[in-house]
Amino acid sequence: MKKRIFSAALAFALLLPFLLSIAGCASSGGGNTVLRVYNWEDYISMPDGEDDEYVDLIAEFEKENPGVTVEYSTFGTNENMYNELKIGGASYDLVCPSDYMIMKMIEEDMVEPFEQEFIENSNYAKYASPYIKDLFEKNGWAQYAVAYMWGTMGYVYNPEIVDKEDLQSWGGIWNEKYKNLTTIKDSVRDSYFLGVAYEYLDELKALQEEYDVTSLDDSDYAAYNEKVTEIMNRTDETTLENVKDDLIDLKQYLYGFEVDSGKQDMIVGRIAINFAWSGDAVFSMDEAEPYTDENGVYHDGIYLNYIVPEECSNIWFDGWVMPKGANVELAQKFIDFLSRPENAVANMNFIGYTSAIAGDEVYEEMLDWYSEGEEGDTDESGAPLVPYDLNYFFEGTGSYDDYVIWVSEESLDRQVAAQYPSEEVIARSAVMQHFDDDTTAAVNEMWEEVKGLPIPVWSYIVIAVIAAGILVIVLTYLYKGRRSEAKPKKGYRVLKKGA
Amino acid sequence: MMKLHFSRKQLCIPYALFLLLFVVIPMLLILFYAFTETVDDKIVFSFANFANFFTSTAKLSTLLMSFTIAIISTAICLLIGYPIAYILARSKFRKKNVLLMLFIMPMWINFVLRITALRELLDLVGLLSSQNYLNTIIGMVYDFLPFMILPLYTTLEKLDNSYLEAASDLGGNKFTVFARVTFPLSMPGVISGITMVFMPSMTNYVVSDTLGNFNITILGKLINEYFTTYDNWHMGSMISIILLVIIFLTMLATGGFKDSNTDARGANLW
Repeated sequence: MKKRIFSAALAFALLLPFLLSIAGCASSGGGNTVLRVYNWEDYISMPDGEDDEYVDLIAEFEKENPGVTVEYSTFGTNENMYNELKIGGASYDLVCPSDYMIMKMIEEDMVEPFEQEFIENSNYAKYASPYIKDLFEKNGWAQYAVAYMWGTMGYVYNPEIVDKEDLQSWGGIWNEKYKNLTTIKDSVRDSYFLGVAYEYLDELKALQEEYDVTSLDDSDYAAYNEKVTEIMNRTDETTLENVKDDLIDLKQYLYGFEVDSGKQDMIVGRIAINFAWSGDAVFSMDEAEPYTDENGVYHDGIYLNYIVPEECSNIWFDGWVMPKGANVELAQKFIDFLSRPENAVANMNFIGYTSAIAGDEVYEEMLDWYSEGEEGDTDESGAPLVPYDLNYFFEGTGSYDDYVIWVSEESLDRQVAAQYPSEEVIARSAVMQHFDDDTTAAVNEMWEEVKGLPIPVWSYIVIAVIAAGILVIVLTYLYKGRRSEAKPKKGYRVLKKGA
Repeated sequence: MMKLHFSRKQLCIPYALFLLLFVVIPMLLILFYAFTETVDDKIVFSFANFANFFTSTAKLSTLLMSFTIAIISTAICLLIGYPIAYILARSKFRKKNVLLMLFIMPMWINFVLRITALRELLDLVGLLSSQNYLNTIIGMVYDFLPFMILPLYTTLEKLDNSYLEAASDLGGNKFTVFARVTFPLSMPGVISGITMVFMPSMTNYVVSDTLGNFNITILGKLINEYFTTYDNWHMGSMISIILLVIIFLTMLATGGFKDSNTDARGANLW
């Protein structure tokens, strides 16, 4: 009897958490609002289990807004997310697509506009970088989308192997010197960008001489940027054909394509050049450099560099939009929460990308990471520090008068330049527009040929040999079959099958 | 006590449901997508995908590449697997199950993990950066070898010794016995092994991507691309259907469907 009571108690104890959770669900079901957020994987600060180094932003938001539950889920590609919304099975209040997908969704009238009150007075209005806000206004997205993370594209390289001069141009990797040392993205749009930049190198260089733009305030910035944007968005037939040939030509010099392995390959030194998003570049550089751990043990490493070639770059961003039917008020509240500079810092620490939010906390975190002193100081080798001007990004979002940090000359090739591109880089960077359906199909077909062609000659030989082999076997079989059906020898008779 | 009683038909219901939900309906869906096209948000019947596949150089090259890789991998698997299976099956070694286990054991480790480990290994020997095709084939062989050994082992083990004795009694030397008796009798295992290796090596793009640094496109990769990045389910389904037909034809040609072949029954389990 005692035993039975014990086991009953045990069973109850085991069931308890389950029962409680059911009860919890039931009690929170009434009068509760749910915010459904759909985001990239690992794209918001959350505790990683091991230590509480990272802030749990979702939990904080729920704590601040009693009665609100966040249903957070993640997607793998823009196209998957788009299909899910299009088919209509899923409904979300807030999704975080990339630049071109945001444009597509706005064009197809799939998103709710933000309220005027939010656009004028939210934390986003207050703290988002003026550069990003300008970009969104100029392109007519400001009403429908807010930026989350952003950056440029460039090359991460190992300066011990690669000559910096070579990579001043996008064409630097079409080079026998770096055979089997480079990876590019296994992604249509990014690699198409690379191909176009290579195809129109001369034109882009000519433009640079014509305009000589180094800052967003230059009077001809608008005209120059428009022309670069036009070139980088060419998708006519000749361009497609030429870019295809260029990329197929590039394949002989490549180590390969990559989705996510490029960072690791770069860190362990398997490759020397990686065509990368700036955010990933920061990660690679951080991981690869030598460091001394808490026990004072020195770990060897390499100092990787990041460079945005001189001709142009691609400004990319991911941003929040509210699909039709979303709970606008709650979604805006969440963005308002994320747009607080301290939360932007939490996100940047966790994700490693650059937030579109500026403000004092972000700037101070930045100073903490990158500033090496003040005007007049020198670096380890005794050379004077150089100024790095970020006014274009931070101006007016905080209490500082002048956003200039002082870094050593070599740091200009490192994390700081990847995290916050200089104004000079921004001036030559274009946004890649989204392609319409026909163009997308054409570009995809181009990419399919780049990936699938050419196949080696021995492949044809193998197939030919096998085909010949099969033919021989079949023929002998047929021949043998006929012979065995030949007349029996004298004195024998053929028995019917089964007899 | 209440007695539970199920008729044979009732016992089939769970599987029939499974079959309907996860085999029949998906197949119909794939067929539907393969022979349709989306025009202005409307789905219309069309043969365009079919025509497109056989007129596109890139797709035909991919098909050819998949064939090449699959054929070479299968041939190598057979060349390595047959002797091993033969030795294992014919040996008098009492603990041969242990030996067999050793060959199968790698299959218990997660496949992606094994391939990732192989990538590191190939990097160590210096093959990774330059030999994309070779690496892919090594990966396929490494991955699918057990699928070749097992059916071969099963058929060879069941081989009646008296046939071989009779063949030697009638004056056959070792080679003749093997070529005229053992090998023909093991054909069901060979065919079963070939099917088990050939089919997946045409589509297993995890291997070709990881070990070939994304330089090689095979059919499985192409299907994946169409469903994810190119966002064209119609073409993706069409390629799947074409692959299905190819597999069906190969099975037909190798006699994989032969019902009368009772010897093969055990082997075909694998």
